[in-house]
Amino acid sequence: MLMIRKSQEKFIRLLVLFIAILLPWVLGAIYLNKTNVNEQIDSLIAVNFKKDTLPRVDHSKYRTLNKEFNTPQEVTEACLSCHNMTAQDVMRSSHWTWSREYATGKGDTIQLGKKNIINNFCIGVTSNEARCTSCHIGFGWKDESFDFADPLNIDCIVCHDQTGTYKKFPTDAGYPTSEEKVFDGKTFHAPDYTLIAQNIGSPTNQNCGACHFVGGGGNNVKHGDIANELNDVSKMVDVHMGADGGNMDCVDCHKTERHNISGNLYSIASVDTNRVSCESCHSEAPHNNKILEQHSAKIACQTCHIPSFAKVSATKMYWDWSTAGQFNDDGSMRVKKDSMGNITYHSKKGSFKWETDVVPSYNWFNGEAQHYVMGDEIDPSKSVELNTLAGEYKDKNSKIIPVKIHEAKQIYDNVNNTMILPHLFGKDSTAYWKNFDWQKAATTGMKAAELDYSGSYDFIHTVMYWPVNHMVAPKEESLQCIDCHSRESRLADLTDFYLPGRDRSISLDFMGFAMIILSAMGVVVHGLLRIFKKK
Amino acid sequence: MKKSTYIYRGFERFWHWSQALLIFFLALTGFEIHGTFQLFGFENVVRWHDTAAWAFLILIVFAIFWHFATGEWKQYIPTTQFITAQFSYYISGIFKGAPHPTHKTIYNKFNPIQRFIYLGLKLLVIPLQVLTGFIYMFYIYPNNPIHESGLSITAIIHTLGAFALLAFVIAHVYLTTTGDTPLSSIKAMITGWEVIDLDEKEERQKNLQHAVDDSAAGYYRMDSNGIIQDVNEAWLKMYHCQDRTRVVGKHFSHTRDERNLKELEELVNRVMQGEFITGHPVTRKTFDGKEGKHLLSANPIVEEGKITGMEGFIMDIHDRDELMEHMYHTVRNSGAGYYRLNKDGIIMDVNEAWLKLYKYDHKDEVVGKHFSLTRRPEDIERLQQSFEKVLNGETISGKLEIRRCKDNSTGKHILSANPFCIGNKPMGMEGFILDITHLYDKT
Repeated sequence: MLMIRKSQEKFIRLLVLFIAILLPWVLGAIYLNKTNVNEQIDSLIAVNFKKDTLPRVDHSKYRTLNKEFNTPQEVTEACLSCHNMTAQDVMRSSHWTWSREYATGKGDTIQLGKKNIINNFCIGVTSNEARCTSCHIGFGWKDESFDFADPLNIDCIVCHDQTGTYKKFPTDAGYPTSEEKVFDGKTFHAPDYTLIAQNIGSPTNQNCGACHFVGGGGNNVKHGDIANELNDVSKMVDVHMGADGGNMDCVDCHKTERHNISGNLYSIASVDTNRVSCESCHSEAPHNNKILEQHSAKIACQTCHIPSFAKVSATKMYWDWSTAGQFNDDGSMRVKKDSMGNITYHSKKGSFKWETDVVPSYNWFNGEAQHYVMGDEIDPSKSVELNTLAGEYKDKNSKIIPVKIHEAKQIYDNVNNTMILPHLFGKDSTAYWKNFDWQKAATTGMKAAELDYSGSYDFIHTVMYWPVNHMVAPKEESLQCIDCHSRESRLADLTDFYLPGRDRSISLDFMGFAMIILSAMGVVVHGLLRIFKKK
Repeated sequence: MKKSTYIYRGFERFWHWSQALLIFFLALTGFEIHGTFQLFGFENVVRWHDTAAWAFLILIVFAIFWHFATGEWKQYIPTTQFITAQFSYYISGIFKGAPHPTHKTIYNKFNPIQRFIYLGLKLLVIPLQVLTGFIYMFYIYPNNPIHESGLSITAIIHTLGAFALLAFVIAHVYLTTTGDTPLSSIKAMITGWEVIDLDEKEERQKNLQHAVDDSAAGYYRMDSNGIIQDVNEAWLKMYHCQDRTRVVGKHFSHTRDERNLKELEELVNRVMQGEFITGHPVTRKTFDGKEGKHLLSANPIVEEGKITGMEGFIMDIHDRDELMEHMYHTVRNSGAGYYRLNKDGIIMDVNEAWLKLYKYDHKDEVVGKHFSLTRRPEDIERLQQSFEKVLNGETISGKLEIRRCKDNSTGKHILSANPFCIGNKPMGMEGFILDITHLYDKT
C-alpha cells in the first residue's frame, strides 16, 4: 500500500513539473496567436481621404463662351476674362516654366528643369522644341523666342477639357491642328473650341495622362508606373486608381493650390518640397503592427506596397542610341518589334529593351537629387548618372524607395568630356532624324544650347533613376519579410547596413558551423570509444 | 558510499528544462532569422524569437533570485583543484573505466570544468546574448548619433553567442551520459534523485551532528574534569531544563542526587580509563528537583591518543521503571546502534554498533534493503506503524522491540526514532537502539 502511494506521489510530482514547464509555452502560444498580425483591423479604416469638391458651374451658360472660337488663344482669352488672376498662378508653375531653382554642387543656384536638362530618352529640349513642347501647357514654344510672359500663350483646355476631343498636334510646338492631319498613323482633327470651352472642369486622368502616361514618346516609356491603362484598370494594377479599388483621379492625391500641383519626380526635381506623401491620407502608423511601423523609419511605403511596376504595358529599360541610323536594304526605315508589339529597333532611335512586371531597384533617398547640368564634365571611364538620388543608411532622413533604373548609350563629346544635346527634330539639314548625321546634329544642338563642342563624339553608358510611386498593389500583394530578409534579398545592392536574414559574417558562420560539426563529431567519437573500450 | 540523494530541487529542474527548451527554441528561430534556413516564415519567427526572449528574461530573473535565496550560487565558484584530473579523466581515464576524479555531493554538484563552463555561461554568454538581444530589439535604426555602424557588431556578437550556446548544448547533452549509467544524469534532472557517491567520514559526521541535534536520545559531552561541554535539546527536555547555560560549564554532579552520584562517579572513572558503557540504567535528578530514569551510554573522547573527555547518549525509560530496575545487573551492550531509513523504508545507513547487534559483518549487507528485513514476520506490521507515525512527524522514544538478526536469531532492544527532514519535509526516519537482550535472558 505504502509503496503504491509513494509511486503515485512520485508520478504526481513529475506531472506537476511537466505541467509547470509546458504551461508557459501554452500561454506563450496563445499570446502569440492573439497578437497575430493577420487579424489586425482593416487598415483602410485609417485612410483619411476626401475628394475635393469644386463649386458646380455650368460653363455653357456663360455668354462669353457662347461663341465661335477661331484660335485656341481666343479660348484662353475667354477663360482669363473671368479667371482674371489665374494666369499669374499658372505662369509660376513648373508646368509652364519647365524649370525650377537648383543648387549646383558648385554653390550656384541656377534655373534647371525640363527645358534645359538632359535625359537618356530623347535627350534634350533645346533645338527640338517643336516636338517636345507638344506637351507644354502653352502654344508656340518652337524656339528660344517663346514669350513666357504672355498669358495668351497658356493652353487652359489641354488640362481642363472634359470632352476628350482636344489634342495637341505632336510636332506643332503645343498647338492643336487647325485642319485634319495624320501623324504616325493617327488622325488629328481641328478641335471644336466652343464645345470644349463649354465643357471644362477639374483635370481628369485622361487630361494628365495625355502627357504624363506617354512621356518619352509612347505609352509607359519613361515612368513605368503610370500608363494609359490607368484610365481603366483593376485594383490589382493600382489599388488607388483601379475602378474596383479607390477609383481615384490623379488630382485626388496631387492636391493643387492655385495651380501649383503637388508632386515631384526626381528625374527632374531636386528638392524635398511640394511632395505628395502616402501619410497625407494614410496615418503614420497604419499597420497595427509594431515591427512594421518601426520599418517605416527607414522604408518608404512604396518599397513594400509596389512589388512590381509596368504591370500591364511594358516600359523601356534600355535605349542604345549608338545603333541608330541603320536601314533596310531598300533604304527604308528599319523598324523591329518584339512579340508584344514593342519597338526593339528603330532607324531614328536605335535599339531598345522593354520589360513588363518589373521588380524595382532600390535606393536610399532623402528627398534631394543631383542632376547632370549641361556643360558639366564627366568621367568617361564610368557610367554617367544623369540624376543621382541622395541618401544613405546613416542619414536619418533617408528611406529606401523603389526605383526604375533606365540605362542608355548616348552621345557625348569625348574630347571635352561633356554630354551632347543633339539636334534630333526639325526640317533643316542638320536634324538627326532627317539626315542621320550625328556630327551635324551634335554641332547644331550644342550651338543652340550655347555650349562648346569639340567636333568629336562617342557614345557613353548613362543611368537615370526614376522613383516608382504608382501602381500600388492591394495589401495582400505587398512584399513579405523574406523578400528583403533573405539571402536573395531585393535589397542586395544596398550594402551600407546590416540586414538580418540577408547579411552575416561568412567567416563567423563558417567557424561557427565548423565548431558545431566538430563538437558533434567529437562527442560521437568519444562515445564510440567509450563503448568500444568497455568491451 | 553510494546513496540515492535528492539533489535537484523542484524549481531547479523547472528552470533547467525551461531553459533547455528556450535555448533550443531560440536557436531554431534565431537561425531562421539569421537566414540559415526557412521553416516557419520570417515574420513568425521574429515574433516567436522576441516572445521567447522575454520569457527567457523572466526565467533568468527568477533563477537569479533562486540562486541567491538558496545559496546555490556557491556551487559555481570556480576552482582549479582537480581540474587537470577532470580533463585527463575525460581524455583517457573514462576509457579505462577509471572512477570520476571528483565526487558529486549535494554541496558540490559540479566538477571543476562544469563550474567554469556554467559560470562562463551565466556571467558571459547569456548576459551577452541578453544585451545584444536588447540592442537588436530596441535599437532598430540609426536615428541616433552614437551609432553609425547599424546592427552589424551587435548581430555578429549575438550570432557568436548562439554558436557558443549550441556547441555547449551538444557537449552538455553528451556529457550527461558519463554518469553511473548513460541515462542516470538525465533521470536525476527529471526526478531530482540521483545515486551519488558520499564521502563516508563527512557523511557520518554530518549524520551524527544531525542525530545529536534532532534525536529523541539525549546527548551529552564532558571534559576530563567532568565539566559538561554540550548537551542537546532532548537531553535538556529529559532534565526539564530550558536554559542550556544552566548546564554547560557545570560539573556532572549537578545531574544526580547524592545517593546516585557515587555510582556515576565510578562510571565516569571507568570511561576515562577507556571503557565503553552502554545501556546502563541510571536515575537522574531533573532541574526542577524530580527524578527520572534513563539508559545511559558513554564512551571516551579520544584526541591525539589521549582521553580528553566523555560523551554519550541517554534514553528515557520512565515508562518502564519495572523493567529497567532489572536491567541494572545484566546490561552488557556494545554501544548505541544508529540507523537511518529513507521515506520508502529503505535502510540508508547503520553504524558499527547496530551491525554488531544484528550480527551483520558489513554495512553493505543491509544498506539498500527494506526495514522489514530486521523483524520477524509477525513484528513487521508494528514497526510499519511506528514508521508511518514518525514520517508524520512523531517522535518515538524507549520502545521495546524484538529484532531479527542476520542468523534469524532474535534480540531485544529499546528503540528511539525520529523523522529526519529536508526543509520541513520528512524524508525518512532515524534513531538509536540500545540492547537489552541479556536483561531479558536473565529474567
